[in-house]
Amino acid sequence: MTTYIARRLLTVIPTLLGVLLTVFLMVRLAPGDPAQLLAGEFATPETLADIRQRFGLDQPLHVQLGLYAVNVFRGDLGQSVRTRKPVTYELRQYFPNTLRLTLGAMLVALLIGIPAGIIAAIRPGTIFDLLAMLGALIGISMPVFWFGLMAILIFSVQLGWFPVAGTGSLRHLVLPAITLGIGTAAILARMTRSAMLEVLSQDYIRTARAKGVAGRVVIFKHALRNALIPVVTITGLQFGGLLEGAVITETVFAWPGIGQLLVGSILARDYPVVQGAVLLIAVAFILINLVVDLLYGAIDPRIRYD
Amino acid sequence: MTKPLENASTPTKRETPRWRRRLFRSPLAIAGFTFIGIFVLVAAFAPFISPYSPVEQNLRGTYVPPMRIELRGPQGQLGLWVREVTRTPLGQIEVGQELYPIRFFVRGEPWVWWGGLLKSDLHLFGVDGPVKFYLLGADEQGRDILSRLAHGAWISLSIGLIAVFIGLLIGVPVGLFSGYYGGTFDLIAQRIVEVMLSFPGILLAIVLVATLGTGLTNVMIAVGIAAIPVYARLVRGSVLALRDREFVEASRALGNRDSRIMLRHILPNALSPIIVQSSLQMAVAILFAAGLGFLGLGARPPEPEWGLMLARGREYLATAPHVATFPGLAIMFVALGFNLLGDALRDALDPRALR
Repeated sequence: MTTYIARRLLTVIPTLLGVLLTVFLMVRLAPGDPAQLLAGEFATPETLADIRQRFGLDQPLHVQLGLYAVNVFRGDLGQSVRTRKPVTYELRQYFPNTLRLTLGAMLVALLIGIPAGIIAAIRPGTIFDLLAMLGALIGISMPVFWFGLMAILIFSVQLGWFPVAGTGSLRHLVLPAITLGIGTAAILARMTRSAMLEVLSQDYIRTARAKGVAGRVVIFKHALRNALIPVVTITGLQFGGLLEGAVITETVFAWPGIGQLLVGSILARDYPVVQGAVLLIAVAFILINLVVDLLYGAIDPRIRYD
Repeated sequence: MTKPLENASTPTKRETPRWRRRLFRSPLAIAGFTFIGIFVLVAAFAPFISPYSPVEQNLRGTYVPPMRIELRGPQGQLGLWVREVTRTPLGQIEVGQELYPIRFFVRGEPWVWWGGLLKSDLHLFGVDGPVKFYLLGADEQGRDILSRLAHGAWISLSIGLIAVFIGLLIGVPVGLFSGYYGGTFDLIAQRIVEVMLSFPGILLAIVLVATLGTGLTNVMIAVGIAAIPVYARLVRGSVLALRDREFVEASRALGNRDSRIMLRHILPNALSPIIVQSSLQMAVAILFAAGLGFLGLGARPPEPEWGLMLARGREYLATAPHVATFPGLAIMFVALGFNLLGDALRDALDPRALR
């Protein structure tokens, strides 16, 4: 187990370095002078010279990469072109909101997805199954931003139940969380259904039924506990997927999170912030996947790591 | 995933393969085919289906809601009729008294399509009279939403096809080599794939667009590159499962070159998941492109791209909800079509699904 954890931790290092390299290259490969991109359109010659010196832009590429990596590990991601504040400060301002949104969305996804999957699996081929699975497919196919707009139109503009946009109270969170969570709910429903169907066809379920265990106990105690193992993995992986969806959801609801910061910064060509936000999302995603991987063994005792 | 063995008694008549029969029996597949069929037809004949040009503005028709069609004419005769709807300078909607008939296969604005191959001035329908007919309403510049949607279908279809093509073109060979040869190439390729997959979903496309710049061409490239790791992973997995199978050994023992083994023996047996993934990937590509358009990182105005149309409609959600509604429905039905087809293909091609 320990060796597995150590090995798994080691494999993360090249990926993290690769992400760092990608983010580094973003500015170098973008059309235009990197110094100008990092300093902004209206930078003074002094600022430009300072940026060139700080990032070693007059030196060979590998030296620049080294400098960039050292800065990142020191926690220096540069300075926002728009606000003149350190990028790390900006990220700290926005990231908690994204975290709240993703957690809310995950709650929505679990509350809708797993029950829907169970109902579909215990009554396969019925109208419940068909409706749940068609609903799930629509949930996957629906553009997040459109669902969000329709939710605003119906529940905020026409019914006035929830605020149109912004953050602050729990009521602000409801629509964005549902919007972001619905796609994940759909994926979880499909996953739960197929895992349940698989488990329900096992011999030990038949044995349990044969010895007269009540139907509900069979479903919840014997079947569900085993079916949830792959579902837990998918749930973990979907957390990363939610980070991606947050980029769009936040734009729809003007939710001041990392995604809105990212899109706004791309449009304003605020490259230091773009780099920081991309780096943060990717690293968060990698770490979540790592944790899910490690937890997997704890949940499923059948898995051994040697 | 191997093909079922041929029957010992070779049938004289070629039978429809079992998977194809299964596919066309599934109602979900038929629904998927229907949505995709409509989408492709609309894209292929966009200017014929559009009554107007997608960029033609009409300042007297801004935000006109979808028009009501009357079934009775001025003298009570049956037919399809519309009244003139305009917006006054004060922002009020004004509905005229006079009824104008809708006619089918009318001559109208001339158009050129398929890069000049198709030229005509024929339109599926139009209104007979000096008024404009907005079946699905008009947007903030009085442009006909139906016409824009039809032309947008062409954009979405091209993005989807080109993106999937890029993904296939690079992802499949990488996965093939990676799985077949293993070793250093595999190690490096898999690290690159992992790095690409570390940018979840649309984020990779966003990173690429942030680097390359916005615009339709870059969207196609970005969404295509985002598809590469998906295919590379998928194909590598299939190849690993096939590499040591007996028929591959046999081919190797016969002295066949690696390239022949890969192309003739391994790839054909790995095709099913690739086909399924390509259908699902079309949905993903179209959703990504629309997402980029919505964020303002994709197509640029006045391009009738669906995501961009939705983004504009967002600003007038309360007063003119139809502007945002229809592009969203279009995106959803097309994505649903490809997802339905992908699911049905998986069920039909998966030998374990034989029940």
